[in-house]
This record gives sequence, structure tokens and C-alpha cells, in this order.
Amino acid sequence: MLSFIARRLVNMLFLLIVVSFVGFWIIQLPPGSILDVQIQRLRMQGGSLPESMIQAMRERYGVDDPFYIQYWKWIQRSLQGDFGTSFETDQKVAERIYNRLGISFGLSLTALLFTWLVAIPIGVYSATHRYTWPDYLITFIQFLGLSIPGFLLALVLLIMASRLWDQPIGGLFSPQYADAPWSLAKVLDFIRHVWIAIVVLAIGATAGLTRIMRANLLDVLNMQYIQTARAKGLKESTVIWKHAVRNAIHPLVMALGTTLPALVVGETLIAIILSLPTIGPLYLDALRSQDMYLAGTILVMLSALLLIGNLLADLLLAWVDPRVRLE
Amino acid sequence: MATAAGELPKAARGKKQEDVGQIPQWKLMVRRFSQSKLSVGALIVLGFMYTMMIFSDFIAPYPHDALDSNNAFAPPTQIVWGPEGPGIYGLKQELDIERFQWIYTPDPSTIYPIRFFVQGHEYYFLGLFPSRLHLFGVEAPPEANAKIFLWGADKEGRDLFSRVLKGSQISLTLGFFGVFLFVVIGSIVGTASGYFGGALDNLIQRLIELIRSFPDLPLYMALAAAVPLTVPVTVRYFMITIVIAVVGWTGLAREVRGKVLAFRSADYTAAAIAAGASHWHIITYHLLPNAMSHIVVVGMLAIPGAIGLETALSFLGLGILPPAVSWGVLLRDAQTVQAVVTYPWLLIPVILLIVTVMAFNLLGDGVRDAVDPYA
Amino acid sequence: MANGAIGTATATTGARVVSEDDVIRVEDLKLSFYTTLGVVRALNGVSFNIPRGKVIGVVGESGCGKSQTGLAIMRLTPGRIEGGRILFREFNAGEEIDIVQLDKNGPEMRKIRGNHISMIFQEPMTSLNPCYTVGYQIEEAILLHQTQDKAEARRRAVDILRKVGMPNPERIADSYPHQLSGGMRQRAMIAMALSCTPTLLIADEPTTALDVTTEAQILDLMRELQHEIGTSIMFITHNMGVVAQMCDEVAVMYLGRIIERAAVDDIFYDPKHPYTISLLRSIPRLGVARGQKLESIKGTVPDPYSTVPGCPFHPRCPAAIPGLCDAVMPDEVFVAGSRTHTVRCHLYT
Repeated sequence: MLSFIARRLVNMLFLLIVVSFVGFWIIQLPPGSILDVQIQRLRMQGGSLPESMIQAMRERYGVDDPFYIQYWKWIQRSLQGDFGTSFETDQKVAERIYNRLGISFGLSLTALLFTWLVAIPIGVYSATHRYTWPDYLITFIQFLGLSIPGFLLALVLLIMASRLWDQPIGGLFSPQYADAPWSLAKVLDFIRHVWIAIVVLAIGATAGLTRIMRANLLDVLNMQYIQTARAKGLKESTVIWKHAVRNAIHPLVMALGTTLPALVVGETLIAIILSLPTIGPLYLDALRSQDMYLAGTILVMLSALLLIGNLLADLLLAWVDPRVRLE
Repeated sequence: MATAAGELPKAARGKKQEDVGQIPQWKLMVRRFSQSKLSVGALIVLGFMYTMMIFSDFIAPYPHDALDSNNAFAPPTQIVWGPEGPGIYGLKQELDIERFQWIYTPDPSTIYPIRFFVQGHEYYFLGLFPSRLHLFGVEAPPEANAKIFLWGADKEGRDLFSRVLKGSQISLTLGFFGVFLFVVIGSIVGTASGYFGGALDNLIQRLIELIRSFPDLPLYMALAAAVPLTVPVTVRYFMITIVIAVVGWTGLAREVRGKVLAFRSADYTAAAIAAGASHWHIITYHLLPNAMSHIVVVGMLAIPGAIGLETALSFLGLGILPPAVSWGVLLRDAQTVQAVVTYPWLLIPVILLIVTVMAFNLLGDGVRDAVDPYA
Repeated sequence: MANGAIGTATATTGARVVSEDDVIRVEDLKLSFYTTLGVVRALNGVSFNIPRGKVIGVVGESGCGKSQTGLAIMRLTPGRIEGGRILFREFNAGEEIDIVQLDKNGPEMRKIRGNHISMIFQEPMTSLNPCYTVGYQIEEAILLHQTQDKAEARRRAVDILRKVGMPNPERIADSYPHQLSGGMRQRAMIAMALSCTPTLLIADEPTTALDVTTEAQILDLMRELQHEIGTSIMFITHNMGVVAQMCDEVAVMYLGRIIERAAVDDIFYDPKHPYTISLLRSIPRLGVARGQKLESIKGTVPDPYSTVPGCPFHPRCPAAIPGLCDAVMPDEVFVAGSRTHTVRCHLYT
């Protein structure tokens, strides 16, 4: 088992290096750079800009270096935890990224928990009551959930909530709590701000997972060992929850690795609408202003998250399934 | 399935195998598909939408980019019954100073009739034949400010109905082509990987592993951002199509590889090899036809995702860019709560998007069940 | 179902080997499947009995309804029971229970299942849950029906594993199914089925998926345990060789009906029904003249969605009487001079 983890870790590290290289290459693909944007802005603000100053900036940002040198500089600095200074705000990037990644992570984890708690029972119900009207209703809602873009749902919920009661619009905290120390009131205020994001994130994922759960369980219920369990005289509920669900849950666990990063970035659109300070909008801004160091850093971080998520899912799978464990 | 239900599946399978002998397989599929009313309904809805798309320039009463500051944020036009059949009132535009919004009041003194098959702005039908014929239009002097906005107007006074129709030309096709492209790439690469194996297989598998190490949406965003901002709309359209395909093919390639590996070790393939069949013959006669239904189903089920993806990218300002119109571009106007609360008709593209994606999902489900009648 | 009425009449008035000592009596059992493609009448009035401590072989081709009969007794069939009775009498209990009348997932039925009647399935590779150890899965049944004490259940599980000839039963109990071979798994299944010393064991082709040596071992084991515990066995198979080795009596099924029923020797040495005769001729044997072709039954089993008028075997029957066999369903009658041998064929009426 330990050697399995070690092997996976080495493989992951290697992949991460290649990923960072390719990721950085993609990010610097568009012609021009943040520098051009920056120079243009300075020109618009202050009129003329001496050629020598432009030259100094070019050197500072290493724009003229060949690609691999740019990459080397970037990776070197990143490994030291220095993600550079944001071109837009001239402040250290690292702190901003960590802050936002933390919020994204918190939101996504909550949504994930919510998803599992809802998706598994509904999927089981749907599979065991096939071709009844609740099953049709669940299937219909699933289709809606899969088909309605999350950002629209966010918009509708926000409108409804702001009309029905005093739903705060945007941000994580009301102004009076923003700098206040943590208290119950602040937590409640926080929940009031983010519940829509969590619900919206969870609904899309729940619809997908419910569908997978239903299909898997239907497959498993056709297995011989389910008949064996019934032939023992076990209660139908025991047969389903103990013998069937345990086997049907595999693909869900395997999907876990991809679900988490998907949720982390899936909120990009939602975060824009709800003006939440998460990683998605930051990434989008960095891409649009061609801030390649920042965008590259975020892309690689998210990839790392995906790889770690996959590893965790594999470990979890080994824990759930003895066949994987003993291989 | 086989063992749990005991004797029945055996018996039932015996029957179905006879069926296969008697009825061509495609007929069996059509029969099975038409049993699912939802899927047939979805097919009809999609047929309608694509027909609308083909005739969009003919149906649209105004050019999609005709600015009209007299009708900024004009609400959907109320249609009244006049002496000459259906008609509309002219609009008076006023500025609400307090809330800083345009207010429109209909002027009931005159009814301007809606005419069908009228001459209007010029367009090229299917991009080929010049025409001025439009399905409907309003006969009114310009000073009356009587324009028909079935779904209201946007902030520049452009007719949303015309814009949605125009947008469908991109939104309904881009995802489709993207999926088509990735199905082609995925099938070829997957087949090659599974059939030839060895170093080629290893290389392809590593490449797929690499691509899949990136989270989807951020990778799509980065690739879309890499398309230069200055290229013409048509080039951008194809670049975004390629972006969708470049990431999407990996999943399909893996599945096709798995199928090909399984079929490759089947006895009939061994027999074909023993009979001296060429690689090409084996692949096209023994391997691909078996994997085909699976490929089609995966493709069908990927279309709604690709359509949603194009919308999302355009909504984020990374996909199709104005002045070109897609549904995602139209949704940029609906980004803020304030805008949507004040001008709810801006959400109409979303409804169409939901209908389209749902219809494709249902259709995909129906096709999946139909091509695998023994599942 | 033109002959349904005749079938029913037979069941109640016709020949039957009735004994007070039967553990189960199935009377005129009818079972149907409602599928999107049509209705499949899987059982069309099956009647038979299983005496205490005997092994009854149920033989027939695939699709004849033999597995569904077993599943119907367990009330585990996905089909709908449309008529008939399944009367069950457990050891040392006077009252007969009609299983058909019980709620299929109710507490009475669950108390019978796994406790008084248990079942072994065809596929040993998939009939154990891959997520739990073999021991745990056996204990589950014991805890359900016999004792609440976990340590005691464990002890009994190891005991029964030893009894089915497992080397090192403690280790086997802690193994997961995928660590065992097919034969070992089937032994584990037998252990599970016998863990509560059932009155009746239904074995649905328990050795079909095994190789010949393992099959012989498993059959020996079953026979041995059957003598020891006194359980009656309903042995479902399509293999006449296995029948000869295992069974005391044989019921031959064709298209959802029992067409011949006799002691095992009578079936092999004095078969009456043309189907039984053909079935026996299709077995390869030693000592048959070289070059002689093995016979096969002509034709195939008819489409299950349709009903055949008259005797269901007449389209394939070499001795079919035109005008009679294709019109009238034969009754089940005793073969002349026997009190145990019954047959359903116009040749003997």
C-alpha cells in the first residue's frame, strides 16, 4: 500500500512538472503581453513614455527572453512561494491567491458534502422505485438541473431572494462585518451571502451524481450476489443499503477526484454574478489582461488540485473496495 | 442481467436474436427510439429550432445590429387587433430622471398594421442568395417610432428577437461542429492506439493523461484566451471549435481504445488476421462498425455540453466576441441582477439555451437506449 | 392459453404422488412476465412435490422454466405469480404454509428464506458480494435466523466452512470472494445455504460453471451433507449425467410444464415421453458403436411470446399424432403399472 502511494506520488510530481510546462506555454501563446497593456495604460494616463523606461520594464518582466527562460524564471520564483507582483494592483499575488483559493475551496467542499448527502439517497430511491411517478419526477428534475446553466440559477435565486427578503447582493460580508472579528453574527452574515453559491454549485453536481447513482445501482441490483443476499432472508432495505449501495458507490468515489476541482472552477460564472472574491474571477481577469505569470500559476495550482483529488479518490477507493486494496 | 433474473433473459434473448434475423438492425433502433415519447418530442423541438436557424434572416424583422437609440431597452411590443388585422402602437420615449431609466408609453391613437411577407433589409439566404423578403414587418413611417420587438430590445435598441435568431447560427452550430471534430479525432486516435499498441499506444496514452491532468474549464478558458483578439469572426468561430475538440477527444479516445482492444482479441478478428486481411480491412470491417454505435452515443451526449461551453466562454468574454452574436454574447447583458430585474426579457436567450440543452440530453438518452436494444 | 382450463383440471383431479411426508407441494403454479415486447408465460401450471430427505432433479432445456420454478418457491422471481399454490411444511411442524399467499418481502417470507429454504445459484464467481468477507456473509445469515451472539455466529460459520471441506476455515472466513477459486466460492455458497440447516435446498445449476473435477467434488459434498443433515434438495440442471449421480427422483420440464416425473432409474431405463427419450439419446455415452452419430432433438424451443396449441412439444416430436397432438393438451397420467411414474403425453392415454 505504501509503495503504491509512493509510486503515485512520484508519477504525480512528474506529471505536475510537464503540466506546468505545457500550461505556461498555453498561457503565453497569445501575442503581446501584459506589458503592452501596461504601457498603453501608462501612455493614456501620462502622455509620453520614454523608450528607456519601456526598455527597463521589458527587462524587468523578461518579455524578450526565450520561452524556456521565462518558464525557468517563473517556476523558480513560484517554488519559493513568490508569485510575483500583480500588474494590475501592484500587490503581492501570493496572498491574494491563497485567500481566494481558500474561499473557493471552502465553498466547494461544502457544496460537495451537500451533493453527496442529497444525491445518494435520491439516486437509491429513484433506482428502487423505477417507473413510478416519483422516479419520473426525479428524472425530470435531474434533467432540469443538468440543463439549466448554474449562473442562470444563481441569477434567479438572487432575484427571488432579494425580492422576498433582504438578500444582500454580492460579496462575502456586509460592510459592518467585513473587518469585525469572528462572531456568531458574522458567521450568519457570511452564510446569508454564500448560501446561493453553495446551493447553485450543489444542484448541478447533484443532478449528475443522482443520475450516475441510479444507473449504477440498477446495474448492481441485477447482480447475482443481490439475489444471494435476498435468499438469505435479509430485509429489502438491508439488501439495498448494505449489499447494493456499497458496490454501486465506486464510480462516485472515482468521480470525486474530478468533482472537487470542477466545483472549484465551476463557480467562476456564479462568482461573477454573485461578485464573490473567489479564484475563478481572478483567473478570468488574469487571462483577459494577459497576465501570464498569474494565470499560469492559477492554472497549475488547479491542476495540482485535480491530481491530488485523484490520488485521494484512489486511496478512498482502496478503502471502500477490497479488490483494489489487495492488488 | 443474465443470471439474476434466471430463466427469462435467456428466453427473451432467444426471441430477440430471432428478431435480429428478421428485422434490419436500424429498423429495430428506429422502433425502439420511437417508443420513447420524450426523445421523439426532443427531436421535434430540435428540428423546429434548426429550421428557425436556417430561415433566421428571413424570419428576423430587423438586422441584428441595427442600432436605435429611440428604443433602448424597449419592452416586448404589445400586439393589438386593429381594423387591418394585428397591429402595434407607436412608442413615446421618456427619461425617468429619478431612476435614470427609459420609460415607454404606447400611443393608442394610431394602429400600425403587421404585414406578412414584406420587403425589408437585404440579406443573403444561407449566405448565397440575396433577398429582401421577410416573414413579417410593420408598416409605419419612421417618425412614428412603431417597431415590433417581439422579445424587447437591448440597451442599444437592437431587436432581441432578431439577435437571438442571428445568435442561433453560432450557438446551435459551433458546439455541434466541435463535437463532430472531437469524435473524428477521438475515433481515429483511439483506434490507432488500441489496434497498433506498443510505443504508439504508450505515447497516446501519456498525451491523454497529460491533457486530463488539467481541469476542464480553466484549460478551455486558457486555450480560448490564446485565440488572438484581432482575428475575423469566421476564423474565431473555427478556432473556438478547435478549442472544444482539442480537449474533448481524450475521453472518447480512451473508450474507443478499450472497445478496439476487446474486439481485437475477439475470435473473428483473429480469423480475419489468419485469412490475411489487411490492417485497413480489419479496422474498417471488424473493429469500427462494432464501436460505431458507442461513438455515436458518446457524441450525441457530448453536444449539449459543448453548446453550454460555447455559451459560457462567450459569456466570459473569451469565446465569440461582439459585434458577432451568439447566445452567450447576448447573455453578457444579463450579468447583473439590476439589469435582469428591470429588463427581464434579457433572459430569453437563457430559456432557449435551456430548451436546447435539455432537448439534446433527451435525444442523446433516446439514441443511447435505441442503439443498444439489448441493454 | 387455449389449454389453460385443461391444465387446471389436471392439477386438481389428475394423478399425483401425494405423501404426508412432503416438504413442499407445488400445485398448478403459473408465472408470467410482462415485458415491453409482450407477455411471456414462463410457467403454465407446474405441479410437483418434494418428499422429505430426497433429492429431486428438475431437468430441461434453457428457457423451460426450471430456474423460475426455484425462484418462485423463494418468492424471488421478478415475474408475476398468477395462480397455483406452493405449500411448504417445515421440519417437525404440522401446519402447511402457502408461500404464494405470503407478502414476498414480508417478515414471514423472510423468516423462511435462508432459514427453512435456501438457494445456491449458478455463477459462483458473482454470487458472493465482493465487498464483504466470506465469513461475514455466512455470519449474516446465522445472525439473522439462529443467534444474536456474534462470537457464536462466527464459530458456527467457521464450523460450516470446515464441514464443506475448506482447508484452514478460519483463514477462508477472513478472505474476500475474489481471493477464492470458483470451486471454493461454490463451497462457500453451499456453506452459507446450509448454515441454518434448511428443510429444503434449491440448487440452481450449482456446478454448471465449474470444471469437471471440481464438479464431481461439489456433487459428492452435497450428497454427503444431504445425508448428514437430511435436507431435501431441488436440484435444477440440464445435465443428465449429474442427475444420475445426484438424484432420487426426476421431473422433466418442457416449456413451463412438467412432462414426465419418475424415480431416477425409471427415467433412465424406461423413459416414456418422446422428449425425455430424445434428451437421453443426446447424451454421449461410452460403449456406443463407433461411427454412430449422436442424436439431437430437431428444431428449437418455440418463441416464448407465442403459445403452441396442443402439446407444446408436438412441433419437434417424432411421434406426434396429427389432429390430436397439435390440438389437445395431454393430461398428466400414471404410466401403466406404476404408482410413481407419471407422464403427460397422448401416447400413454
